[in-house]
Amino acid sequence: MEKGSIFTHEFHLSNEVYSLFLEAFKDKNPLHTDDSFAQSKGFEMRVMHGNILNGFVSYFIGECLPTKNVIIQKQEIQFHLPVYVNSKLRFEAKIEEFYESVNSYEFKFFFENESKKKVAKGKIQIGILK
Amino acid sequence: MFLAIRKKNVLSQLIINKMERNQILNEINEIFKDVLDNDEILINETTKASDIDEWDSLSHIQLVVAIEKQFKIKFSSSEIREWKDVGEMITSIQSK
Repeated sequence: MEKGSIFTHEFHLSNEVYSLFLEAFKDKNPLHTDDSFAQSKGFEMRVMHGNILNGFVSYFIGECLPTKNVIIQKQEIQFHLPVYVNSKLRFEAKIEEFYESVNSYEFKFFFENESKKKVAKGKIQIGILK
Repeated sequence: MFLAIRKKNVLSQLIINKMERNQILNEINEIFKDVLDNDEILINETTKASDIDEWDSLSHIQLVVAIEKQFKIKFSSSEIREWKDVGEMITSIQSK
């Protein structure tokens, strides 16, 4: 892991992921559960919870890096386009900086949909546990 | 005569050094307010982590990262371990 390293992963926002998120967090706002409501607000259908993507970021940090000795210290995300159920998302994260003093890495990341449009982007800072 | 000029130069250097330290102190005070999310914070050279409730080990990481970004410098892990107060932080920044 060094400055400039790029990591990628494919995520499938399946009906199962969506259902489990609903069950776990109970956010049943009609934007996320009612197609007609979502369409009345200009969306194609019910919009997936943005925080499902944060769950994917968590998976990436916890499971996809070369080390398991990691802890998330800071995270920010901006949502640009709606994501619908059964979307396949490509995730890419690049190490922007390494802070030797505090043993932390800063990543910039984005998710893009099958049309290669960025649906969300953000930054994450992780610490390496000793 | 020569001694008097030398004394004056040393004095000027001390004044410049003090002004520079005050300027750095003001800049890092803003970083402390932002990172620790407390507009009331007023640090001085003798301020220690134990003087500010919000200054814990995790926020210390964010302070160091923010200072490195702001001043476009890099500290080493051994260097920051030796800091006992804000004054030593400023000395490190000044040495870069």
